[in-house]
Amino acid sequence: MKKVTVISAPPGSGKTSLLRAWSYHVTKDRRIAFMSVPRDQRDAQQFWLAVVDAIRQTDAIDDSRLPAAAPVFDGDAMVDAVHSALAKAAGVVVLVIDDLHELTSADALSQLEHLLSVLPTAARVVLSSRRDPPIRLHQLRLAGEVAELRADDLRFTASETRDLLAASRISLAEAGAAALYERTEGWAAGLRLAVISLSGHPDPDRFVDEFSGTDRAIGEYLMAEMLERQPVEVQSMLLRTSVADRLNGELADLLAGRPGCDRTLLALEDANAFVVSLDAQRTWFRYHQLLADFLRLELRRTLAEEVPDLNRKAAGWFADHGEIVEAVRNTLAAGDWPDAAELLADHLFSLTLDGQEGSVAALLRSFPARAAAEHPELALAHAAVQLAHGRLDEAASQLTQAESHLQSVPPARRGRRAVATASLRLALARRSGRFGDVVEQVKELDMSTADGLSDLIGSESELRAVALMNLGIVETWSGHFADAERHLTEGATLAEAIGRPYIEVACRAYQAWPSVSLATARRRGHEAIALAERHGWGDRPMLAPAFGALASIEVWVGEFAEGERLLQRGWDVVQPDVDPAVAVLLHVVTGMLHGGRGEHQSALEALTAAERAQSLLSGAHILGRVVAEWLAAAQAHLGLPDDARATLDRFSTDDDRMDAISLARAAISLAEGDPAGALAFLGDVRDFMPPQGFPAYALVEAQVLAGLAHLALSDRDAAAAAAEAALAAAEADRLIFPFAMYKAGGLLDILSRRQTAHSALLADVVDLLRGEAMPRIERGRRTPTEELSPSELRVLRFLPTNLTRPEIAQSLNVSVNTVNTHIRSIYGKLGATDRGTAVRQARELRLLALGRAAPSK
Amino acid sequence: MPTPGCQYTIRIRGRLGATALSAFPTMGSEIRGGETVLTGSLEDSSAVYGVLAQIEALGLELIELRQFCPPNDREP
Repeated sequence: MKKVTVISAPPGSGKTSLLRAWSYHVTKDRRIAFMSVPRDQRDAQQFWLAVVDAIRQTDAIDDSRLPAAAPVFDGDAMVDAVHSALAKAAGVVVLVIDDLHELTSADALSQLEHLLSVLPTAARVVLSSRRDPPIRLHQLRLAGEVAELRADDLRFTASETRDLLAASRISLAEAGAAALYERTEGWAAGLRLAVISLSGHPDPDRFVDEFSGTDRAIGEYLMAEMLERQPVEVQSMLLRTSVADRLNGELADLLAGRPGCDRTLLALEDANAFVVSLDAQRTWFRYHQLLADFLRLELRRTLAEEVPDLNRKAAGWFADHGEIVEAVRNTLAAGDWPDAAELLADHLFSLTLDGQEGSVAALLRSFPARAAAEHPELALAHAAVQLAHGRLDEAASQLTQAESHLQSVPPARRGRRAVATASLRLALARRSGRFGDVVEQVKELDMSTADGLSDLIGSESELRAVALMNLGIVETWSGHFADAERHLTEGATLAEAIGRPYIEVACRAYQAWPSVSLATARRRGHEAIALAERHGWGDRPMLAPAFGALASIEVWVGEFAEGERLLQRGWDVVQPDVDPAVAVLLHVVTGMLHGGRGEHQSALEALTAAERAQSLLSGAHILGRVVAEWLAAAQAHLGLPDDARATLDRFSTDDDRMDAISLARAAISLAEGDPAGALAFLGDVRDFMPPQGFPAYALVEAQVLAGLAHLALSDRDAAAAAAEAALAAAEADRLIFPFAMYKAGGLLDILSRRQTAHSALLADVVDLLRGEAMPRIERGRRTPTEELSPSELRVLRFLPTNLTRPEIAQSLNVSVNTVNTHIRSIYGKLGATDRGTAVRQARELRLLALGRAAPSK
Repeated sequence: MPTPGCQYTIRIRGRLGATALSAFPTMGSEIRGGETVLTGSLEDSSAVYGVLAQIEALGLELIELRQFCPPNDREP
């Protein structure tokens, strides 16, 4: 079998029948993933999800890594996922895509083209379409990897026509069979229709005579004949159920107004009468498009007055069963635009959360041109579609319309519509970076939700989850961490409870901010990423805040290589139109990383970019102060004190104490050779506080700067005291970054011959400053056979120092024997034979670098 | 690209019955021999593709499609 098979032939040529018959030949080594593209599929994500679903059903593939629906669709990532799923499949998987001509998404077609060009060796693809698919296949064709079947190949021959008639137990004279063949030209649908009409016909030869003698268009003639040959109740069912694009027995009963339609549908499919089942259990059916089109015309011609009502019934059934796109489509077909608009507005969030913006956009196009003016609730749907495409101005103007309409919404619906509007407004303001507006809206939302939200939790929980997510995000960026924590936790919990994993991940991705503790933040960040990866979302933009926050944590504790890796993943997942608030975070961490490595020019560039991104936000970003501080510090390092002062003047505000700015002013003085001036800016360093939500770095930095100033003034005792105080402040979280940023090596050297209570930390800092990067952990490498006990960890901390065992015992207030026992136990658990190996092992296992936090796995 | 207000003549093999003709509510029809000729004006190219899609969907055989546009003296 060639890599790619293209079947291109007009409707009714028997493409689908051929494929289905062939698909039954499944073997252990060759599995068929069969999918039909639904009518007028414009949504690339829906298309690919159907592909994924078909592949999943072959059971050839471990499906845990296959992607699920998501509001932000990344086509390339999806193609990669499908590609790797096919590559890892057991045996040959044949992906059959029927009705490809219904795929009208240019993105999906070019993604499919890409997939075909990189198809794994063991994978085969069959494309079936009414026209040659608009996919470039010439490379594959040149390589002889394309098989093509066309109308002529599918046509029945004269002898096959006779075989078909014989198999259907229809006895026709030789001339009759020949006439039938001549008239249908071997067209499969024509022959099938003729066979249906001929079965049980009292005088088959007369039928063929009449058929051959007529000039009527063959398809229409045969369809009409076929329909007329059916019992009245079957005719009635076929006509009335044709309003639904797909149906099951229950829906068919409802539309036909009689029970037992499932048996009729099964019988029609068994009779090969243009009814196709959609699932292996044969509970869902659709009509062959030739039949569906004919039935709809006939319904409109003969029962026009029933058409709107039938559509309404179908819409109601679909709405009750959560099939909102179908429900809106049938409501539109009924001409009930106001109802369709309401339905769409009410379920908009649910649709966008399933990543159905394409379908929403298609439904919006189905409204009459004047609908936007007459049905203001559509503005909400327009706004969501525009927002999803990053067209913020258009989204804003639609949203304004939606809001002005809000008061005229009946009170019963006003509550949820208000939450929907407010959530979109929040998302827009957040996305545009207008934090001032966001804070206002947060207040408004709190009020509007206070009176009516409790009863919305059941029916409108996803709106609530989205609202909580947006709230939590803006609260994070504007530094209201306690509120953010509450809302994001609540949002994530709710999202999990109602089965909206995307929202859950989006909430949790913002909970890696170290406003709690570094260890908690780190754990949460990795959990958010692991959760996303379980759903195949490991490369989604929503993870950027988690990657950025995790990277910053690693930089704080001096794990620059790991920080760089996480930061790179953060940059990899964001899209070109990155949310400016997220961009500030990533630029700041980039600047931290360069600053910590002494690359001040690169740090300056990154922090300038952060300032630029910050300027796109009209509100103050929580990172604004550290941007100013570190940008000024980088400028001071580069000998640009005037630029540094200008930077600080740009950022300074009077509204609260700005220790970060004082730190930067001290750094500038120090760089200018004015240590006394630096000390003056620092004042009483003991009460230096970091901005809210940051690790306690400000005191560390203040002591480091004070120490450097004392050192410059040759006051070694004061310098040593400041260095010891810096280490004490850094110890809890092992905040190594401030030492690296101000190159505090010389300062720490004066401690090396003195008593320090922080020798392990000191050793790590000194190593880092000497450029001896701590050894990288190789993934999956050794772990301690047994975890060290807390008292062993306390002893372990002293091993990298030059303290003797009695000195260690003295520092810890224990006996020398106790220390010896612990050291023997540490050697045993680490597989070490001496102090040097033990220290090396402990470093590689990050037992020294993780501070008081438990070692992460 | 068709210009607004163009007249179209579409020849289809076979005589279309009432059902098939109802697929083309905006076009007039005429039976000529063994063919059906549809005539009418189509607003824009998407209307033209819509008619062609209907023909294809119903399994009808298109023989010819012609476009007659009124002379347009307001060329850009």
